[in-house]
Amino acid sequence: MIQFEQVNKYFGDFHVLKNIDLKIHSGEVVVIIGPSGSGKSTLLRCINRLETVTGGKLIVNQTDLTDPRADINRLRQDIGMVFQHFNLYPHKTALENISLAPRKVRKTPVDEATKQAKQYLSKVGIPEKADAYPAQLSGGQQQRVAIARGLAMKPKIMLFDEPTSALDPEMIGEVLDVMRDLAREGMTMVVVTHEMGFAREVADRVIFMDEGMIMEENAPAEFFQNPQEERTRRFLSRVLKH
Amino acid sequence: MGDFSLLAAYKQEFIDGFLTTLSASLLALVLSLCVGTIIACLRLSQVQLLEWIGTAYVEFFRNTPLVIQVFFFAMGLPSLGWNISEFTAGAIGLSIYTGAFIAEALRAGIQSVPRGQMEASRSSGMTYIQSMRYVILPQAFKIVIPPLGNQCVNLVKNSSVLAIIAGGDLLYAADTVSSQTFQINLTYLFVAALYLVITLPLSFGVNQLERRLARQS
Repeated sequence: MIQFEQVNKYFGDFHVLKNIDLKIHSGEVVVIIGPSGSGKSTLLRCINRLETVTGGKLIVNQTDLTDPRADINRLRQDIGMVFQHFNLYPHKTALENISLAPRKVRKTPVDEATKQAKQYLSKVGIPEKADAYPAQLSGGQQQRVAIARGLAMKPKIMLFDEPTSALDPEMIGEVLDVMRDLAREGMTMVVVTHEMGFAREVADRVIFMDEGMIMEENAPAEFFQNPQEERTRRFLSRVLKH
Repeated sequence: MGDFSLLAAYKQEFIDGFLTTLSASLLALVLSLCVGTIIACLRLSQVQLLEWIGTAYVEFFRNTPLVIQVFFFAMGLPSLGWNISEFTAGAIGLSIYTGAFIAEALRAGIQSVPRGQMEASRSSGMTYIQSMRYVILPQAFKIVIPPLGNQCVNLVKNSSVLAIIAGGDLLYAADTVSSQTFQINLTYLFVAALYLVITLPLSFGVNQLERRLARQS
């Protein structure tokens, strides 16, 4: 479904992604962890071409993203994205945030899109917030609206870029619960996170990145109990201690 | 200071001038908002050529006198065989000139909308134009209300440029009346007051709008 082949990316002189080879299959939940600046967010953002790759090949849903003629808008309709800072539209209500893209991109009639938006709001547990503006919602609620917004396009893949990093500790749980449900329903998910508990419990595969390289990847049980690389062990010992 | 009763005889000139100023300003306001929005989008375009066109437009029209631009439309175009009325020439000149300033205000407003907004909307499959229209511009307009208000007030005052191409506006009426009655101070003071009749409510309205939008968010 997602295939990186020898992908390299530079920001100017800075080599952010180095020879990335990665295959993600339909229905798989892949969690990417690693220290900040390791390139994990950049890798994620390449998947819907918020970032372009400098070299190599990247194929997502049979579309070659390195092909300049690729229909990126079409590709993005099938990939939901959830951001660290939510990025909800502040001038629109929760409901409008969710129904906007289905209406404008999928051309769903307003009443139908609104009905579906309500269903997605219920799915993330806050149907009563339909008419609230983002500024009136807590961080956890905003992020759940953002997840509903991504789901409303009925995507084949959901990307999560540190979805709980900007949240107060007591709100992290409610967002992870929604993500856990999604994973259980068989959504293909790529998640960049620092939540090791979530990785251990929900991931099919954990990927550890450092200095722009994939250092290690494994099933979570094996990955956390028996890390192969010295660098992974050092990282885990630092994040798992507290 | 003067004899106000002398001006009463020219009531019709003042009314006509006032209405001409008002309608030229309104027409130019709508047009310059359209021009400004388009030019601002060009300036922000990823396509180098479009960005260059937008920049060239702004720098040319912002940095040359409005009077010259209006002269061109009023006398230059007719000399090329394209006849337009003084009113139209004035309104077009004002729109093109003010459009350059509005484009700059809009560009600043658009750039102050956080980058994540464009990323979120593009990620959902919306095109650049859809993202602009439904996500970025509504937020940018809120930010640019104060500078846009300034441009509106300037536009009304700048419409007095119609006087020098015999456009029949307020200032033109004042010139006519003062040269016939020799009540120079009185006439121009009276006309200045008539400009205030337009610009003061405008300023007030912009302030109210700004306050209301601020309360919303």
